[in-house]
Amino acid sequence: MSEWTGVLDLAMENRQGRSVAKSVYFQGAFKVMRPVYLNNYSYPCYYLLNPGGGYLDGDRYRMEITLDEQAQLTLTTQSATKVYKTPTRQVYQESVFHMKKGSYLEYLPDALIAYKDAKYYQKNIVHMEKGATLLYSDILTPGWSPEGEKFSYDMLRLKTEIYMEDELVVFDHIKLHPASQHMNGLGFMEGYTHLGSFIVVGEKTNDDLLDRLHETIQKEAGDFAFGLSKLAVPGFTIRIMANYTQVIERIISACHHVISDKWYQTKPSFLRKY
Amino acid sequence: MTNHALSLFQLCDSNFPTGSFSHSFGLETYIQKDIVTDAKSFFEWLNVYVHEQLAYADGLAVRLAYDALEAEELEDIWELDRILTVQNLARESRDGTQRMGDRMLDIAQSIYEIPMLSTYMRKIRDKQAFGHPAIVFTMVGHHLQVEKETTILYYLYSTVVSLVQNAVRAIPLGQTAGQKIIYAFQQQLQQATDKIMKLDEEEFGVVSPGLELSQMQHERVGIRIFSS
Repeated sequence: MSEWTGVLDLAMENRQGRSVAKSVYFQGAFKVMRPVYLNNYSYPCYYLLNPGGGYLDGDRYRMEITLDEQAQLTLTTQSATKVYKTPTRQVYQESVFHMKKGSYLEYLPDALIAYKDAKYYQKNIVHMEKGATLLYSDILTPGWSPEGEKFSYDMLRLKTEIYMEDELVVFDHIKLHPASQHMNGLGFMEGYTHLGSFIVVGEKTNDDLLDRLHETIQKEAGDFAFGLSKLAVPGFTIRIMANYTQVIERIISACHHVISDKWYQTKPSFLRKY
Repeated sequence: MTNHALSLFQLCDSNFPTGSFSHSFGLETYIQKDIVTDAKSFFEWLNVYVHEQLAYADGLAVRLAYDALEAEELEDIWELDRILTVQNLARESRDGTQRMGDRMLDIAQSIYEIPMLSTYMRKIRDKQAFGHPAIVFTMVGHHLQVEKETTILYYLYSTVVSLVQNAVRAIPLGQTAGQKIIYAFQQQLQQATDKIMKLDEEEFGVVSPGLELSQMQHERVGIRIFSS
């Protein structure tokens, strides 16, 4: 199937130390705003927007992002992604990233809100060359439902594949399907409603960083549970279960600060828009 | 049961020295948190672990690896070895499984002398493969001409028997209670096998958030008798 509801292609290059777009193309219900160079950084932040205000039945989105050698980019959304009920065909979103040597990508979208009877399938494929650095997060949240049920969406499926020099190094597959899973039960969401993930691939990852991230997260307030573990390549995953988007955002942001400080002696930009 | 199936059964013995006695795959985290405290709560954990994690990863991998061996599509096997390893985002579970795969391969190779096992060993030595017990087990099952479905069932059984033995030591439970769980779980094993036989390949590697968290958290639990 080739008809897409929205398509976005963005290619970044490093021009004398400054990361700029080599090409930007978007079509249909997928747009990016003009890049913002926050904090006088040498690389921009692009905000994705979905002019329709949400994903509807059968919508299909495709995004392809290319980062040339040493190019850097922050990519986020302007607001939460809302998936409404999909009575006939699931919403599908596919994102492909190509990261050349030494490139740096932060892809930190806002939360996904899945309303009653929503069915959503997301596929992220990342191709990295050695020395590239990736910070990726997502947050899955249940939307308000008229009956007040906690999990009224039909299904959320997120697959993330990360390749390093053409070899698969990370495979993550989350499937939340309340009709067939005991969402509150042992092993599933265990009483929580929101699920956050933060996957980082970077050569500078070491045990000291993981210890500091662990300490940082433990100091965060609020009711949540988390796990933190190293990947098969230098990098790690943080998984967080909580009841509020803000709790997960705060934890991811705190960890982002630790990474920026340890690796680049900088502070990440404040991305949130409200 | 054919004699061939009996040979495969040797790999299911919890005394078969793969090192499975030192891996709880997150169970110990639940024990430390007083969530798994007795036979009933352990049964619940085992149920979720087998149906919601093992089935989607190892279980489906046994089926796909068996098909690949039948079709002599070796590249598919090495791809499975890789995806099985990298989908395990909890380091201890991933590394532990790899060590178990390595040992199972070593012993199986000295018993059966299956050419495919030597190929697998060479791949691992050359760092072109990781080593995974589900793949080794399938290679042996296929070589012994044990049916695919039976191979899946036995693989699940072998995992469950080791986990029950570990639960008996760690919770602790009586030996009789442990045997009763293994017996009562037979129905679950059959159900899980049926599910695996019908699973769409797209479903590979689905993970349950709570289970995964417990496996990651195990790295930092206070008192540990298991290494995962």
